[in-house]
Amino acid sequence: MYNKKLGVVLAAGLLAASASAGANGPTAAAIVGHTCAGCHGTLGASVGPAPVIGGLSEMYLASTMAAYKDGTRFGTVMERLGRGYTPGEILDMSKFLAAQPWVSGKIPVDAKAAEKGKTIHSANGCAGCHGPTGISPMPNTPRMAGQYADYLYFQMMDYKDAKKAIPGAAMIMRNMLTPVSDDDVKALAAFYASAK
Amino acid sequence: MSTMNRRDFVKLAGAATAVGTVGFPMVGFGAPKASVVVIGGGYAGAIAAKYTKLYVPDAEVTLIERKKEYISHPFSNEVLGGERDMKSLTFTYAGLEKRGLKVLQDEVLDIDIVSKTVKTKGGKSLKADYLIVAPGIEIKWGAIPGYGQEAAELAPHAWEAGPQTLLLKKQIDAMPDGGLLVIVAPANPFRCPPGPYERAAQIAANLTHAGKKKAKIMILDAKDAFSKQALFTEGWKHNYGDMIQWVGASGGGKVMEIDAKTLTAKTEFDDFKANVLNVIPPHRCGAIAAKVGLTDDSGWCPVNQATFESKKAKGVYVVGDSCIAGAMPKSGYAANTQAKVAAANVAGAILGMKIEKPFLTNTCYSLLAHDYGISVAGVYEVGADGVLADVKGSGGISPVGAPLDTRKRESVYGVSWYNNIVSDMFT
Ligand SMILES: Cc1cc2nc3c(=O)[nH]c(=O)nc-3n(C[C@H](O)[C@H](O)[C@H](O)COP(=O)(O)OP(=O)(O)OC[C@H]3O[C@@H](n4cnc5c(N)ncnc54)[C@H](O)[C@@H]3O)c2cc1C
Ligand code: HEC
Ligand code: HEC
Repeated sequence: MYNKKLGVVLAAGLLAASASAGANGPTAAAIVGHTCAGCHGTLGASVGPAPVIGGLSEMYLASTMAAYKDGTRFGTVMERLGRGYTPGEILDMSKFLAAQPWVSGKIPVDAKAAEKGKTIHSANGCAGCHGPTGISPMPNTPRMAGQYADYLYFQMMDYKDAKKAIPGAAMIMRNMLTPVSDDDVKALAAFYASAK
Repeated sequence: MSTMNRRDFVKLAGAATAVGTVGFPMVGFGAPKASVVVIGGGYAGAIAAKYTKLYVPDAEVTLIERKKEYISHPFSNEVLGGERDMKSLTFTYAGLEKRGLKVLQDEVLDIDIVSKTVKTKGGKSLKADYLIVAPGIEIKWGAIPGYGQEAAELAPHAWEAGPQTLLLKKQIDAMPDGGLLVIVAPANPFRCPPGPYERAAQIAANLTHAGKKKAKIMILDAKDAFSKQALFTEGWKHNYGDMIQWVGASGGGKVMEIDAKTLTAKTEFDDFKANVLNVIPPHRCGAIAAKVGLTDDSGWCPVNQATFESKKAKGVYVVGDSCIAGAMPKSGYAANTQAKVAAANVAGAILGMKIEKPFLTNTCYSLLAHDYGISVAGVYEVGADGVLADVKGSGGISPVGAPLDTRKRESVYGVSWYNNIVSDMFT
């Protein structure tokens, strides 16, 4: 993509570092990654309620953007934006954003709801994949601890709504959340938002 | 600029391994101190300064802004609607100073675009290696006969947020039930294409909450079509019945003259006497850019749309409302991503890296009520003709006829946009 010498730098195994904050100069990954900041905050550290995306895994970011692009995941705006990028550009932005630190939102939550959400999370077997607090070791399973409650609520309501497109990887959530009441979904969102 | 020399190569490799824990790495050694001066600290300039510094931490970046505090135009319509106060629109530059760039509160009076020397009202003279010019807009006083600066004290434009916003708000609050509020909307191109129509909705919200249900809002437009028109028409009707009426140019909406004393807007066919008259007059690029020769006949600044370098001067970049950017509207989000492309190109020139491609995005949210939002989004690329156009198949408006849940979500995400974009600018 760049000249040969820079190619050597990248090939020398500095790829991950070169994708970080931007002080390595204006790489294509940085330039495209910084365009998301107007809605997702500088380096993806959203001040909310749009989701924090900095520090999500490269795999999840890339598959999510690909799903928005091909219309297999509903969004109010992300589908329209996702269609603007090539697969290569999606990989670039995903690398860049995955290299940023996760910054949990400062989210006011109802402590009672969060407590209730914690119970539902355990009782429904969500912890099996998402870990006890919404932090999963698996790269295909996004971090939810410190994610914005409004966003998580909307996302879970889409899982419950059979008319909304969701990616194949999320079908399990559709099955598991469909019997869960709207109030309990709110409680789950409050729990994840408050988790550390 | 194209190939990297050995020193740059070593520097880059050094930088790549020196990534700090807070995400703002230090460049190692032997770096030249390039100087960059950014003029104007708004949606474009604040971002240009911040991201130049982020890309090249050891560059000397100076931001010159004439005002001590920035007042955001975006979300000033929500002040008219009674949902926000001016405080929530007001920001200082302390956050940017913490990032190690210099903020000079001063007015730029002149620029030598060849030697890149900037002269300020405070008597300073700054010479830079690169200039990024982002002075926003200037109203063309007198472009509508009768509408000059004094007229704006009676019939406010409120197209630059601040005292004008408060004046219009006061007039709306004092308007009687059954009164007529007229908004005069300009022809393209102008700052914030959906702005006048969002404003109509916000004013309708204010009047409705105040119980003035018989009041009318009339938009007299110099155009025959406007941004997100189908969505606005749907949303006005849903939220406010027929309080808002739009009159396009060929329907007799083009205003030929303003009589501010009697609050009358005169079209070819009719005189509309209003209780409150909001005139959004035609404008052009920020005065300083015009003064120093960065404009063409259109009154705006032509740039290489892949880099935002001025077509009039080397090493001088123009971003935000002042520049000509193909299909991109004059909006805060457009200004944000243009500024980042200019910063990347300045950084690329300093570091000896070639920038292959610009990445440019826009989204304009409009809040028609506190729980009713709509948007238009775009991702852009430079066409073979050098002009920015939508990437095929991308972007567009929120769906017409969407369920209220979608409108509600977009109101939440519209506020989120504002929160995030101002934090991108000022922290
Ligand atoms: C009512 C309204 C609502 C809007 N809503 C939205 C919205 O929801 N979303 C959106 O994306 N956009 C919106 N916009 C558009 C947005 O405000 C502009 O597109 C954006 O501000 C452009 O950024 P800019 O940096 O070019 O100009 P500005 O933000 O106006 O900044 C220019 C700065 O330069 C300074 N300056 C000028 N000349 C000099 C000089 N000689 N010396 C020193 N300083 C100087 C000025 O003081 C100013 O601070 C709205 C606009 C209006 C009026
Ligand atoms: C106009 C605002 C806007 C812009 C610009 C934007 N996003 Fe989003 N993003 C959203 C919103 C809103 C959502 C929630 C889904 C929806 O309603 O579209 C979201 C959701 C996401 C998600 C899902 C997060 C999760 O936890 O599953 C990802 C990933 C994402 N965006 C990535 C990006 C990337 C990468 C960019 C830049 C190329 C970007 N977004 C630009 C507004 C935006
Ligand atoms: C079998 C593993 C598994 C189980 C069990 C599971 N999840 Fe998930 N969850 C995932 C994966 C994988 C994704 C990412 C889906 C995608 O790629 O879109 C996900 C995504 C989510 C998201 C979206 C997060 C975001 O940032 O967009 C939420 C919310 C969520 N799960 C909640 C739950 C809840 C609540 C339960 C229990 C009722 C649950 N999950 C059970 C694997 C699981």
